[in-house]
Amino acid sequence: MTVSGVLTRIEACIPALRRYAAALLRNREDADDLVHDCLVRALDKLHTRRDEADVRAWLFAIMHNLFISQLRRARVRPAGEPLDESHDAAASLRPDQESHLQWRDLVRALNQLPVEQRTVILLVSVEDLSYAEAANVLGIPIGTVMSRLARGRERLRRLTEEGEVRPALRRVK
Amino acid sequence: MSDPGRPIAEEELHAFVDDQLAPDRHPAVLRYLQEHPDMAREVAAWRAQREALRAAFAPVADEPIPPRLGLERLIQDRLGRRGVAWRIAASIALAFTLGGAGGWFLHGGLHPASAVLTLMAQQAIANHVVYTADRRRPTELGAQQRDDLARWVSNRLNHKVAPPDLSADGYAYIGGRLAATPDGPAGLFMYDGPDGVRLTVFVLPLHMDETLPLQQVDVAKVNGWAWIDKGIGYTVVGRLPTPELRRVADLVRRQYGGAT
Repeated sequence: MTVSGVLTRIEACIPALRRYAAALLRNREDADDLVHDCLVRALDKLHTRRDEADVRAWLFAIMHNLFISQLRRARVRPAGEPLDESHDAAASLRPDQESHLQWRDLVRALNQLPVEQRTVILLVSVEDLSYAEAANVLGIPIGTVMSRLARGRERLRRLTEEGEVRPALRRVK
Repeated sequence: MSDPGRPIAEEELHAFVDDQLAPDRHPAVLRYLQEHPDMAREVAAWRAQREALRAAFAPVADEPIPPRLGLERLIQDRLGRRGVAWRIAASIALAFTLGGAGGWFLHGGLHPASAVLTLMAQQAIANHVVYTADRRRPTELGAQQRDDLARWVSNRLNHKVAPPDLSADGYAYIGGRLAATPDGPAGLFMYDGPDGVRLTVFVLPLHMDETLPLQQVDVAKVNGWAWIDKGIGYTVVGRLPTPELRRVADLVRRQYGGAT
């Protein structure tokens, strides 16, 4: 392997890691702390990398494990708990967009899903991981990824459609 | 490989939404959706949900990366911390051979100097600590065999190098040896100074062309000054006050023909 290549790939993943962490955690500072811990852990384990392939999935797996152990130690509050407006993940979203309100409702609905469904939806829908990669990152069988994805999407749809403000669900290509 | 006639599974509808459906199943799924408007609405809703989530979280990835998450800074934090555990240092050094990581720093458009020099100095300081502590046989070839050592080290480094003469400044050459690093062989030259202080000069060819200016490097509470001159790395290490060690480093640099 070349260390150069792995470092370059790690660096390229930082924006996506921040996006995923911001979606998981209710405040951005906690999110960046999680990314920080993930990068430090990755650098410590760099000598275990034998090739440059799958660096992205490797990083998401490290971050997922850190996230889960933080949840267990209750060090951070996941995005699903009662929201404080100013530290709401939705509050960090593009304010100048017309659909801002719709996104905020969508993100809030997402935060009401169980963590297991939320992580699958985010990894697959937002981070573009393949089902196999998501299964790897989460340490679960691919069939479980599929069932969590199906249940999560269905629940998210009901939550947004039954909400007071309907999200932008009509922008279909 | 899959049977185009078999019924559509819900998993395939999700795979369709996520662009992960096997291409040979596309026609069957499209046909199914035409024949089942309810499911078509459902799938359209999933796809819209997916697009909306991507749009909602996209701004985070477009933000500039905060300085504390910069990779180079994280690496320097890990390497440069005083008293860093040797185990951690060794693990990082294993991964970061200078040919690999050094290249990343130097060609990645990032500020390279301190990290590369710290990585090199780790090797120098590790060898310094191991060999100066050896009271009986700190060197492989002693002061009398100076020319033999110069020939041996020059051959192995594929670079002509001899121990610098620091006797006028109170440091007596006591011998040297070949040292091992992840980047290949290095030359280690040892000196006895006033009050029994031991000093080493470490020379390591780095397989790169760069020149980096003199910089102070600390690893595990041992001080050093390091620089790179046209791809040859030099580190002067010793438990001396910083200004004195700097003075010696300048002497060594002049003898090796580097600009001061």
